[in-house]
Amino acid sequence: MKKILVVLMIVAVMSGITLFANGQDEAVSEVKVGFIGPMTGDYGNYGDLISKGVLLAMDEKNAAGGIAGKVNIELVIEDSEGDPQKGLAGIEKLSSSDKIVALTGPVFTGVSFAVGERVQVEGIMMVTPSGTHKDITNIGDYVFRTVASDGLQGEVSGRYFHEVLGIDELGVLYVKNDYSQGLFEGTSESFEAAGGTVTIAETAQAGDKDFKTQLTKIKAAGPDAVYIPNYTAEMAQILEQASQLGLDIPFISGDGFSNPEIYQLAGDYTDGVIYVGPTQVSETDDYKDFVAAYTEKWGFAPDSFATNAYDAANILFAAMEKVYNETGKFDRTDIRDAFAATKDYSGVTGTINFAENGDLVAYQGVYKVNGTTPEYIGTYTVVDGELVEVTL
Amino acid sequence: MGSISEFFQHLMNGLTLGGIYALIALGYTMVYGILKFINFAHGDILMVGSYIGLFTFNAIRGQQMGIWTIVAFFIAMIAGMLFSAVLGVLIERIAYKPLRRATRLAPLLSAIGVSFILSNTAAWAWGTKSRKLDYPFDNTPFTIGGVAITPHQILILVVVIIMMVSLKLFVDRSRIGKAMRATSLDQDTAKLMGIKADQIIAITFAIGSALAATAGFLIALEIKVYPSMGMMTGLKAFVAAVVGGIGNISGAMLGGILLGLLETFGVALLGIPYGMRDTIAFVALIIILLIKPEGLLGKVEKEKV
Repeated sequence: MKKILVVLMIVAVMSGITLFANGQDEAVSEVKVGFIGPMTGDYGNYGDLISKGVLLAMDEKNAAGGIAGKVNIELVIEDSEGDPQKGLAGIEKLSSSDKIVALTGPVFTGVSFAVGERVQVEGIMMVTPSGTHKDITNIGDYVFRTVASDGLQGEVSGRYFHEVLGIDELGVLYVKNDYSQGLFEGTSESFEAAGGTVTIAETAQAGDKDFKTQLTKIKAAGPDAVYIPNYTAEMAQILEQASQLGLDIPFISGDGFSNPEIYQLAGDYTDGVIYVGPTQVSETDDYKDFVAAYTEKWGFAPDSFATNAYDAANILFAAMEKVYNETGKFDRTDIRDAFAATKDYSGVTGTINFAENGDLVAYQGVYKVNGTTPEYIGTYTVVDGELVEVTL
Repeated sequence: MGSISEFFQHLMNGLTLGGIYALIALGYTMVYGILKFINFAHGDILMVGSYIGLFTFNAIRGQQMGIWTIVAFFIAMIAGMLFSAVLGVLIERIAYKPLRRATRLAPLLSAIGVSFILSNTAAWAWGTKSRKLDYPFDNTPFTIGGVAITPHQILILVVVIIMMVSLKLFVDRSRIGKAMRATSLDQDTAKLMGIKADQIIAITFAIGSALAATAGFLIALEIKVYPSMGMMTGLKAFVAAVVGGIGNISGAMLGGILLGLLETFGVALLGIPYGMRDTIAFVALIIILLIKPEGLLGKVEKEKV
């Protein structure tokens, strides 16, 4: 047994060396970009889909010769499991050991806060395709996103729920993490400003599986609808258990619902859910090409965050290329400046501009799930405290 | 607290939860009764049993929901129970038996080690993502006086009651049960009376582990299957066993039910914040240890000389 172990270890070491040697050969002209997201665990599907958006952009760029036709891009992926502590360990490694020039991600809001503080200090720009909390971009000028801030999501959600759906009394069940709590606060504020009342707000802990106590209380309070701005793992449990308790009122949600995994986890219980999330991308040729390329490469379709990530990566590569052409190297600050200077970038999600604080200039889409298929209802934004429907 | 129907809804939820705790607590208490040792890998045996049940169910259930899926569900449950029973006996042989005469801390540490080995191996082999156990039958709730009851809850309660009654009968009435009680009372004397203590200990582990697998498979319907599923549930069941009086089978049942009700009503009725829910069990543990260390139904044990 010991002998086998020794042999195995030798093999492992040898193969490590070979890999490393190969890496060295190609590393003659190479630049590293980081990615942080949950790759394993209950939230793993978010990281998987999103990282593959970045990977696709990278492979396409590398196939075309890389940055400026000669520098190969390498993506270093760190698994956060959706935990800020693990995200911090990830950025520490990426920054000091891998020497990345820029970061794509993190995927989750909580992790984005933790990692954002670090990249701001380190002077590495980051662009999250999915961290929606309105305060993330307030960390500093190195923090960007290619997803709508939930400041807007909260404003649109609250007003839409009251003014369009006619909900007067709202129940909420949210998980105590930065993402869900941020959406709860933003949405209930605008919901009450619009004239509605939040009659019951119940909380849960991240990773909880049993929500029956809260749902029973909500059922007793009898609101018109229940708002569940959480991640798919929790929402699936909530929808299923609500049905078991005979809680037969509409459920409404936020952009976390746009991950298609919800339909595997919750099945038919998703029927009738209305959620406010990313705007539907107009079916341009660019978008169709992207979806086709992504689906062909990975075997499943991208979600909206993966699409955001693909755009984020391409804008980043364009910024890196600009800096490299001008200076012949990849300075982290120069890349941040070039990224911030992006104007009217034509991405697969549409025309992309960044506001002064690094936020994406954006609108919100509203969807209603029919069975297990989300149907698009419309595009909304809030102008001077008024809900406005827009056509893109 | 709103109405009577809300009260009964919480009662139903609490009873289901408590029944599960009781089933798991039985394993702790049986092992403790005989070996005076807490098997901290018990929750992870539960997890492995749930996975085996899940795999078996998925392999044999077929597409259509019907009588066969219900049969398949019970076959899968039995498969999980058998696997866990064998696993429990193996663990006892490999990790605990050689330490039986060592200091009392040694098997405890060994158990914690086994717990980590099991959960990490499961995470590595099967991934950390939760897996859904498909329903064996339609789970549409029916309402009695405003209280929604699901077929699953009834299934859980029925299985829990059957398991508890048959265990109680087995231990109180059968020859092996008598031998178990004798071994628990005094192992050395039991041996002198011709009882094969090692065999009895193995049987105890097998039964305890099988009960854990049953509990795991039942809660999988509600909370899905994942590598760390046994951790918190196991710990709380352990608390239930201590509250009821560790080593005492009726005590484990009582402790489990009480804990389930306490957790549900603590949040719903006493207004304990939901985030503090998991602490209720441990506060109960501390209180019981301070006031009645032998547990609700436990007997004060005289120090053996």
